[in-house]
Amino acid sequence: MKNPIIKLSTLLILSSLLAACGDDGDTGPQGPAGPQGEAGADGTDGQNGQDGADGQDGQDGVNGNSAVYTVQITNLTYSQPFAPAAIILHESGYHAFAEGEAASMGIEVMAEGGNPSMVIEEAMDSTDFLDAQNSGGILGPRTTGDTFTLVVPELDADDLRLTVTTMLVNTNDAFTGLNAANVSNMAVGDAKTFMTVTWDAGTEANTETAATMPGPAAGAAGGGGEAAGYDPVRDDLADVVRLHTGVTTNANATDPSREGLATSVLNEGHRFDFPTSRVVITRTR
Amino acid sequence: MKFTKIASATLLSLAAVSVSQAVTLDVEITNLTQAQSFTPRLVIAHDSTVDAFEVGQPASSALAWLAEAGVIDDEQNAASSGANFEALLGPADTDNGSNTWHRFGGLLAPSATLSYPFDTMDKPYLSLLSMLIPTNDAFVGMDSIEIPTEPGTYTYYLNAYDAGTELNDELNSARTDVVEAGTGNALGGYGVPGVAGGGAPTRIVDLGTGGTGVGAQVVNGEIEDGEDGPVHIHRNALGDTDNAGGASDLDSTVHRWLNPVARVVITVPAS
Repeated sequence: MKNPIIKLSTLLILSSLLAACGDDGDTGPQGPAGPQGEAGADGTDGQNGQDGADGQDGQDGVNGNSAVYTVQITNLTYSQPFAPAAIILHESGYHAFAEGEAASMGIEVMAEGGNPSMVIEEAMDSTDFLDAQNSGGILGPRTTGDTFTLVVPELDADDLRLTVTTMLVNTNDAFTGLNAANVSNMAVGDAKTFMTVTWDAGTEANTETAATMPGPAAGAAGGGGEAAGYDPVRDDLADVVRLHTGVTTNANATDPSREGLATSVLNEGHRFDFPTSRVVITRTR
Repeated sequence: MKFTKIASATLLSLAAVSVSQAVTLDVEITNLTQAQSFTPRLVIAHDSTVDAFEVGQPASSALAWLAEAGVIDDEQNAASSGANFEALLGPADTDNGSNTWHRFGGLLAPSATLSYPFDTMDKPYLSLLSMLIPTNDAFVGMDSIEIPTEPGTYTYYLNAYDAGTELNDELNSARTDVVEAGTGNALGGYGVPGVAGGGAPTRIVDLGTGGTGVGAQVVNGEIEDGEDGPVHIHRNALGDTDNAGGASDLDSTVHRWLNPVARVVITVPAS
């Protein structure tokens, strides 16, 4: 089957060669067109184009960014350990307590027995609450404590308040801290330092006896502990929060002044002056 | 046009001067106590590497010398050489790189006010320390405030701290019936128990005698020289009303204080 085709194509080529030669004499008729030439080589590739312009920045997210703060407390007293602290960030409408007004039950429980959990629970009930930490441990006298981290929506950083409450455990119902201190508009890296006063919760008479104080001074006198902490009876001179006047102690109970409180289990070492603590808040993000 | 050019050139030169010229502050200090004198004041302008004292941290030997004996430099007390603030900071009235400092001499009596010029040599922070006498180791402290740069007057209230380097026995160091336990050393000053400055000319009342000790107790004519640090807010002198006995040789109706114990007014001059 292959041979007839080859033969046929050979004949065609031969006949075309003969035709191109033309005949002698007069110009012969134009020959048929020659076969098509081979295709040319491909051109070199073009250069890459320039990079496109940067895209536009994305829009800020809504309610998506957080501001982060750390809080560190230093106990400035000689001999008053601090009970676990409530550390609360909130907006400006909330107050855990107010001077001249009766303490909440949370403040009473914290100031008499040292447990700050109810102070935090009360704060969480407020629409102004943002975040809280319970430091969870005792902060010894003359000691700087751990740092605690709190996170709030960045949108709230322009109206931010810090509340701290912690009991002086060798007292009936003294507590120190901050009452809605203004920490608004802190830039990342900013730190604010507060030197704090001490309040009397006004919920318990300042008898300074072993049966009414939870701390080690009462413990050494055979009392102290949880049983000597919170008592629902409010028997102070006035049922209002006010600045504390300091502990009386049994010092000088027998000198001519008789200024000491002979029934107190506290001694002169338990006295304290203001400021009672230092609170440093730092915005870290 | 000419006027405008001159005015802007003047403004530029003023701006350049105010940046490069060191500021001489006026530092005014008032003793707010009723019966505690201030020993010579140490005023330090410094950068963030200098921290003369820090609550919650142990006192340096320099702070112990200042708080127990009112001593800042070698000139006041040669025995403090190498351990005082002069050793810590460098020479007085000199740009020591990280700091410059000056001792404002003399006692500052209760209720008195003094003011001094102080060249900060462009350091950003200011600290001020002075011992309260008669006490064991109480001092008034300004803790690294940021020096304001805007012209004006700025007021600060300072607290009394306990250096924590000596127990607050509140014993009259003029007494000879009590000595340091173990060494037999006489009372008073640095490194030995007893209050310093009981005989200072600015004292309001003479100290008592016969006290048995407050923060430490006299045992067989000896008193311990212990520590009660780190640095913290002083719990106040105790004192008592028995001039010939009781616990303390201080007077409870005279020698106590409450914070703040000093007011400092800093004036930043217009440049």
